[in-house]
Amino acid sequence: MIDASSAAPLLAVEALEVAYHRVAVGLHGVSLRVMPQTIVVLFGNNGAGKTTTLRAISGFIGLDDARVTAGSIRFAGLVIENQPPHANTERGIVLVPERDKVFPNLTVAENLAVTVSHRASARERHRLEALVFQFFPTLARLRSQLAGLLSGGERQMLALGSAIVCKPELLLIDELSLGLAPVVVEDLVRRVSNLKQELGITILLVEQNASVALAIADYGYLLENGRVVLEGPAADLRGRREIQQSYLGQASGEERRSYRALQRRSSERPDG
Amino acid sequence: MSQRHQYAKELGGTWQRRARFAWVVAGLIALPFVATPFLLDLVNQVLLASIGALALTLLTGFAGLISLGTAGLLAAGAYAVGVLVHEANAPFWVTLPAAAILGALLGLIFGLPSLRLRGLYLAISTLGLHFVVIYLGGEYEAREILSTGIMIDPPSIGRWSLSSGRDWYFVLLSFAAFALLISVNLQRSRTGRAWRALRERDVVASAIGIDVQRFKLMAFIVSATMTAVAGALFAYFRNFVSIDAFSLYLTVQYVAMIIIGGMGSISGALLGAGFVILFPYAIEAIAGFLPARFSNAVFALDYAAFGVIMILFLLLEPAGLLGFWRRLRYSLSTRFGRPLP
Amino acid sequence: MSLQLLANIVVLAAIYALVSIGYVLIYRVSRVLNLAHGELMMVGAYLLVATADLFSGDPLVALALAGICGLVMGVVVYAVLMRWMTGEAVLTAVLITIALGILLRGSVILIWTTQQFYPSATFGWRNPPVPIMPGVQISAASLAVLIMTCLVYVGLFIFMQWTRWGLRMRAAGQNPLLAELRGIRLHGVYAFAWGLSTFTASLAGMLMALDSGVESTMATIGLKAFPAALVGGLDSLLGAACGALIVASAEIAAIQYVNPLLSDVVPFVVLLIVLAIRPWGLFGSREQLDRV
Repeated sequence: MIDASSAAPLLAVEALEVAYHRVAVGLHGVSLRVMPQTIVVLFGNNGAGKTTTLRAISGFIGLDDARVTAGSIRFAGLVIENQPPHANTERGIVLVPERDKVFPNLTVAENLAVTVSHRASARERHRLEALVFQFFPTLARLRSQLAGLLSGGERQMLALGSAIVCKPELLLIDELSLGLAPVVVEDLVRRVSNLKQELGITILLVEQNASVALAIADYGYLLENGRVVLEGPAADLRGRREIQQSYLGQASGEERRSYRALQRRSSERPDG
Repeated sequence: MSQRHQYAKELGGTWQRRARFAWVVAGLIALPFVATPFLLDLVNQVLLASIGALALTLLTGFAGLISLGTAGLLAAGAYAVGVLVHEANAPFWVTLPAAAILGALLGLIFGLPSLRLRGLYLAISTLGLHFVVIYLGGEYEAREILSTGIMIDPPSIGRWSLSSGRDWYFVLLSFAAFALLISVNLQRSRTGRAWRALRERDVVASAIGIDVQRFKLMAFIVSATMTAVAGALFAYFRNFVSIDAFSLYLTVQYVAMIIIGGMGSISGALLGAGFVILFPYAIEAIAGFLPARFSNAVFALDYAAFGVIMILFLLLEPAGLLGFWRRLRYSLSTRFGRPLP
Repeated sequence: MSLQLLANIVVLAAIYALVSIGYVLIYRVSRVLNLAHGELMMVGAYLLVATADLFSGDPLVALALAGICGLVMGVVVYAVLMRWMTGEAVLTAVLITIALGILLRGSVILIWTTQQFYPSATFGWRNPPVPIMPGVQISAASLAVLIMTCLVYVGLFIFMQWTRWGLRMRAAGQNPLLAELRGIRLHGVYAFAWGLSTFTASLAGMLMALDSGVESTMATIGLKAFPAALVGGLDSLLGAACGALIVASAEIAAIQYVNPLLSDVVPFVVLLIVLAIRPWGLFGSREQLDRV
């Protein structure tokens, strides 16, 4: 296990650029750091590049006809960009995708059993599976249920569970709360926080819902148009007026504005 | 500048292009007088095949509609001639239009599944229809006890009949040129653009107001009509119609033509037709150097070699000969530092 | 309808069912339509011809050896050819299988000529008719096909539902990307599916060889069995069995009551009807249509 007391980041992304073969949108120099046993959140609008960043880190970027064209990704010191996908999974980088995150015609138990990880011995796997049922008692109850018939929240739990069984060092989660009811999200968020606590895994989380994100995150990065435009400890970000106006203001029905536009406006006003 | 004026200008082109065009035409006219009968027959076969290849390009290359029904449609055209000649001794100016009409009708039928199905499922439906057509042809042969097929006399007007290689050359050249003209025109027309939209994403196409159903059916009908006419010409060219000639392998050969030539392009269709027609002759030539067991089963050698070639193209050069040629030109031009013509 | 007719239907259905397993396996796991399946079945039959010559005194050894070669053949076909198609357009993959079929047909004739072979004669086995009920008899080889088909279906069902590899194959078929994300190597799963598929194809080929001899045209039975798989929904084993029954019934009925010449076209008429009414088959789902 990675030594939590070391000051070195578990994941270091440096000036990452990603180009798509067909679609223009990509990453234009993203830099971020994930310290061990923390939860880091990437947030931003649709198309900001959050999913692309996760895909690049997980190694599954080639499937979108994209590649890393500049910059680097280092995991525990090793360079990992543009490697074959399973190499990263074997290193302990496990991705929970945004869509199609479970096998719909397999039962919950089968979804957990079907994962293949050379990092975990058979004993460890059993332990991890038991742990998943412990963390998510609902799943234990639904053991023989077909995954396709689960509710959104249950499906997300199963997706997280199947990722955990792979014994991850770094868990990448693409959209934790999308499409889920607030009550469900609250519950989920609590469990994810517990996960970090109990298992000591590091989590890089992509979230459109900033309030959810900042509730559990230790650190955050705001992406816009393929660039990091703001970063900081979660507590700091929560307080920034721009974030509140453009992202947390969803509940009040305000229109989303880009951070840049807000910056410009605030720099034009006399009180800043 | 009006559309017509611009079109004529494009066709006419610069002085250089006009000169090149004139040379090509001169060459085409001179060919039958300088070529050996064997070579002329080869050229005739290629010309005949290119009509079918162009038809398939229109359907699959332009409109993106997969069809494995080529052999069935060729058979339909050939059988239109065969049956009308056998039953009523009809002349060519009756049988050819009849073949075209039958082709159009079959095109409509082959095209109906495309309104609901796409890709693999569409291909499978055309496969099923192929077998139905072949069965009907076989039925007719069995009923009329034509175990060796129908003999067809050469088409004739008065005392002159079309049987020499040279005469066939000009006839086939005209038909092929006509098919080429239709293809080029369609490619540039509104229909062609609609077909391209279909090929890319028919869901999007319908969203922007293109009547997807109409254009799909049109593609099938035009393509099938051309193919049936080619089949009719086949019948007269060989003086003979038999259902055994129209197997799935024939369809695969035409599909190979547009793949090997270069999918979606007219020149690709012509290149592919030439390649696939000439290929067996090349194999036969090589077979002479092989041990007896191979040279005795040339058709099997042909099959096997054809399979290998098709696999190689699909794996290594899916853009076909055209793609290969373009890459070659590019690498040569970068080597010499200037663009090649 | 006489009992003998019923027996004929069941025997034909068993053959179609055994053959269509191969289509279903590969399609379900890797979404590829293997149109060389009939030719692979034919190669299996020829493999038996070869091993029968070597082990004419030991039919079981010959059969087992041919079966193993059949399995290896599938893995090799994937490893050498089809693996490059993973991730490419499905249509290109299907075209490659068509080309492979043509290659196999030519090669088989080059190696064995167009002569007909009778491995059962090599074993000294007569293939007697077996009376299974008063007034009803089927050939011994047909009985073997029936039994084999049932065994294979049960075996495959157990394998897919209850073994680890079966689970991985089902998962890979449902969501290839997620499978890779969770450590399942698609290439391995696909190779295995191909191996299983050609194994069942060889089995079918061998049994047909023992029943009626080997000839290069036997590959067409492969194509006739395809509608059975499609009727069932292309990714359902149970569906393929039902489809086989439907196609066999239609075919035998047409031969008996309408016209014997219809035998080769009836499966495709059934195919067209299914495509017109319910393209995704009995047990398939609508989404399948959009996948291609």
